[in-house]
Amino acid sequence: MVIWPQAEAARVSEEWPHSLEADTDQTEPLAVVINRMNSVTNLSFDELHRIFLGSRVHWSDGRRITLVMRDPGEPERKTILHDVCGMNENQFKIHFVQGLFTGEILVSPKILSTPAGVRKFIFNVPGAIGYLRLSEVDDSVKVVLIDELSPDDRRYRLRMPLPSVKSE
Amino acid sequence: MNYQFKTGSRRWAMKRFPLLDRLAVVISRYNSTLLLIMAFGGVALIAVLVIRDLSAANAEARQMYSGTVHGLQRIGELQYFAQETRRATLYALTTEDSNLQVEYADQSRDADQRVKDGIAEYGRQASHPEETALADRLKNDWVDYLKIRDDVLASILEGSTGEAVNLDLHGGVPAFDRVRQDLGEAKRLYDLEASRREANLIASGRRASFRLVGILCLTFLLSIATVWVIQRSRMWSTIELARMEMEFVTSVSHELRTPLAVLSSAADNLADGLVEGKEATRKYGGILQHQSRNMRELVDQILIFASTEDGKRRYNLQSLEVAPLIGVIVADCARLIKDAGFAIDQRIDSDLPCAWGDRAGIAQCLRNLIGNAVKYGGSERRIVLRAYIESLHQSDQELRISVADRGIGIDSSELTHIFDPFYRSPRVQAAQIHGTGLGLSLAKRIAESMGGRLSVVSELAAGSTFTLHLQIAKGQETQKDATVSRPSPITIQ
Repeated sequence: MVIWPQAEAARVSEEWPHSLEADTDQTEPLAVVINRMNSVTNLSFDELHRIFLGSRVHWSDGRRITLVMRDPGEPERKTILHDVCGMNENQFKIHFVQGLFTGEILVSPKILSTPAGVRKFIFNVPGAIGYLRLSEVDDSVKVVLIDELSPDDRRYRLRMPLPSVKSE
Repeated sequence: MNYQFKTGSRRWAMKRFPLLDRLAVVISRYNSTLLLIMAFGGVALIAVLVIRDLSAANAEARQMYSGTVHGLQRIGELQYFAQETRRATLYALTTEDSNLQVEYADQSRDADQRVKDGIAEYGRQASHPEETALADRLKNDWVDYLKIRDDVLASILEGSTGEAVNLDLHGGVPAFDRVRQDLGEAKRLYDLEASRREANLIASGRRASFRLVGILCLTFLLSIATVWVIQRSRMWSTIELARMEMEFVTSVSHELRTPLAVLSSAADNLADGLVEGKEATRKYGGILQHQSRNMRELVDQILIFASTEDGKRRYNLQSLEVAPLIGVIVADCARLIKDAGFAIDQRIDSDLPCAWGDRAGIAQCLRNLIGNAVKYGGSERRIVLRAYIESLHQSDQELRISVADRGIGIDSSELTHIFDPFYRSPRVQAAQIHGTGLGLSLAKRIAESMGGRLSVVSELAAGSTFTLHLQIAKGQETQKDATVSRPSPITIQ
């Protein structure tokens, strides 16, 4: 298992300037989505953390988990890296390189450029898991609860800032 | 059976077809134009049938062509999109870029949806149980292939290329082969159906050709029959006219010979001094006078008919008081009526308006009608002469002078012929009642020339009533001297 160094976590927290909990009105929930055939309905935040770090590679029915990520630099990816993985981009890359090298991680995440690509990928792959802004979710994928909370809930933890509007 | 009659030295012979001859008589009576119109109608009807037949054949050919094109297109599309489904799936194997793999997966799903739609359409349009069964089999085989295709796609997207290839080789290839065989079978069935339709079309075209030839033959025969009937009707008319002319000549000869024989005999007796005494001389003079008058009337009748025939006759139409004119005519015929032992009953309405006509023409008409009444009046020997006004529609009126007898009457089948020139009823000829067959024809022509007409009502063995219809003179000066002047005989110009 890859250990998340505490010192790294502190550094990531400094690099991520947003105080999400303090300013929820200007954020949008980030939904975690899976294939509709997948029977999972709820994941704990810890399970989510392990899945996105490649520590958990199979679903409870034995199907292999395929992780879907957006391109580096995308706000959704940053949010996942920060809130779920507690890493920045470099740390995440290093983590997976190390994991693949040591054999602790079997498959690296699939990188997709667009929300539509994410939806289609998850639709085609029964064991896929990814994330989308809540407004980009459609019927082709299934949203899972995180700690029994749906993205509509105010207490839902995965949130990303809305694009800022410059005042004249 | 042949019938013949002679005209001078020429001998006419004609084969007899009773039904056709009757038709020919009808046609000759009503003009052969009618037959031509009927023939034209027949040809037009045939043309419509031919056009309808050709249109039906054309529509059938169009339907077959369009069915062939659409069928080929449908099967071609099915084959194309099935290949496209597989091609896109295999392309996804060739890259590790997830975005491209998703795009290929998307293309494969689009194509498979087209195949599903195509199979459903094929099933809906299946016209034979074999095609329906094939559509079901194709649908099932395609669903089986898609299950494997989905697994292959999932493996490719997961990054398990080896697993994807393995799945495709062991499941996808055989499943897709079954689909391909099904599509081949669909094409074979379609070719069979197209061959059957083509055979039907060829047979239909052959039938249409036969029908067309038949219709053309029928048209040709109809045209020949029409021409033949027209020719026959004309020939019949000519023969009939010749026959009537012969009978007329015979009749006129007879009519002339009888008084001539009497005149000759009386003249011989006078020349030989066999007649002695004033009484005998007066009697012979009366005979000579009567017979010569008969001869003159006969000759006049012929000449008048000839003049009406060639249009030389001119009528002096004027306003005439009818009652005095009738009185003069009856007086003229008194000797004839008295000699035949007839009585004439005159019923002239009072206050009759003046008639519009020719004095000599009216006199000639009435003399002929009275003469006929005497000739065919039968044993009752009574003639009723009426003059009266009859109201017509729209407040119009006409003046009618009728001559009725209680004689032998006219058969209804002969009523349409009695006004034909030279026509003489076979019944009258058999009874040896002499005549020329010109009297009624002449009377009718004169009546019509004066703007009137002549009608007849008759019942066999009950008598006949001939009516002269005359126009009433409007605003014309009445000839007051009609009561005293005797109508001059019709003059021939």
